[in-house]
Amino acid sequence: MNTPSTAQRQPGRASARTHSAKDFEALYRDHVDLMYRFAHRLCGEAEAAKDLVQETFLNAYRGLDRFRGDAQISTWLYTIASRACLRMRRKRKGAPERELSLEEFIPTSDGEFRLQIPIDGLSPEAALHNKQLREALDTAIDQLPKKYKMVLVLRDMEGVSAKEVGTIMGLNERAVKSRLHRARLFVRRQLSARGLGEPLTDHNHTPVRERRTVSHGSR
Amino acid sequence: MAAGNTSKRKRPSVSTGRKQAHGKARCLRILRQLSAYIDDELSGNICQEIRRHLGTCPNCETFVTSLRQTVSLCRHSPSPTLSAASRTLMRKTILETTQAR
Repeated sequence: MNTPSTAQRQPGRASARTHSAKDFEALYRDHVDLMYRFAHRLCGEAEAAKDLVQETFLNAYRGLDRFRGDAQISTWLYTIASRACLRMRRKRKGAPERELSLEEFIPTSDGEFRLQIPIDGLSPEAALHNKQLREALDTAIDQLPKKYKMVLVLRDMEGVSAKEVGTIMGLNERAVKSRLHRARLFVRRQLSARGLGEPLTDHNHTPVRERRTVSHGSR
Repeated sequence: MAAGNTSKRKRPSVSTGRKQAHGKARCLRILRQLSAYIDDELSGNICQEIRRHLGTCPNCETFVTSLRQTVSLCRHSPSPTLSAASRTLMRKTILETTQAR
């Protein structure tokens, strides 16, 4: 916050700052929880998430005067956070940046088609009480390359529309949907293949592919 | 809608060994559209075609079930929350940083 002494020294600048500070207070109060949730889902852990939230609000503070309200304020903040996340090079092991090709998710055997997620007819909320499943989901998301993870988190976890995700990430809707599909296929395969349950075995096909899938999932 | 129409006419190539291993061109074409199907973004005709296929192909039926479950788990995954103390501390740090510059 501005101190009175700052205001006395530079009245014009200080009043602009006070105005910004007031706007910032409201912005922070209303959106910090949203941004923390987003950041935590992207980073997978609390400390990195806090760093990202701080970086996001610092950048937002500096850009507050330039925000014209063309976009929703949450879209604007998601955009700042996404950019900051792409810039952040923390020591944490992130998944390597690579393209996910659709081909790698196309099942080649009946067994792969039938890989199941072991939730035993439970509702998703009930299934997620299972620590093993929850951890498997977190790990699967964490293993996604960043640009796929961002799309999945924004769309399927934050509930942002595909169009808005496009605005946030500077992509057209088609590209958003394509990334989303691959990200979901990746998570599906990881969840199905981690030995949480017993995937149906395929009587016609070699176990080679199955071994590959399992080892991929347990990286 | 758009997502469905674009691949409507595309015939997946069956030239690769992996695809030949399964050889169900229709399954593959449908798998490519399953997110759009789950999100209800496809035209009525394509949806109908997919539903018809799912009714006769247990493999694809299981696949779409597991994909739906994946999306559903993501949607319901617990929300990480920030403690009041962290919220206050972060606000203080941000404001101090902005004023230090």
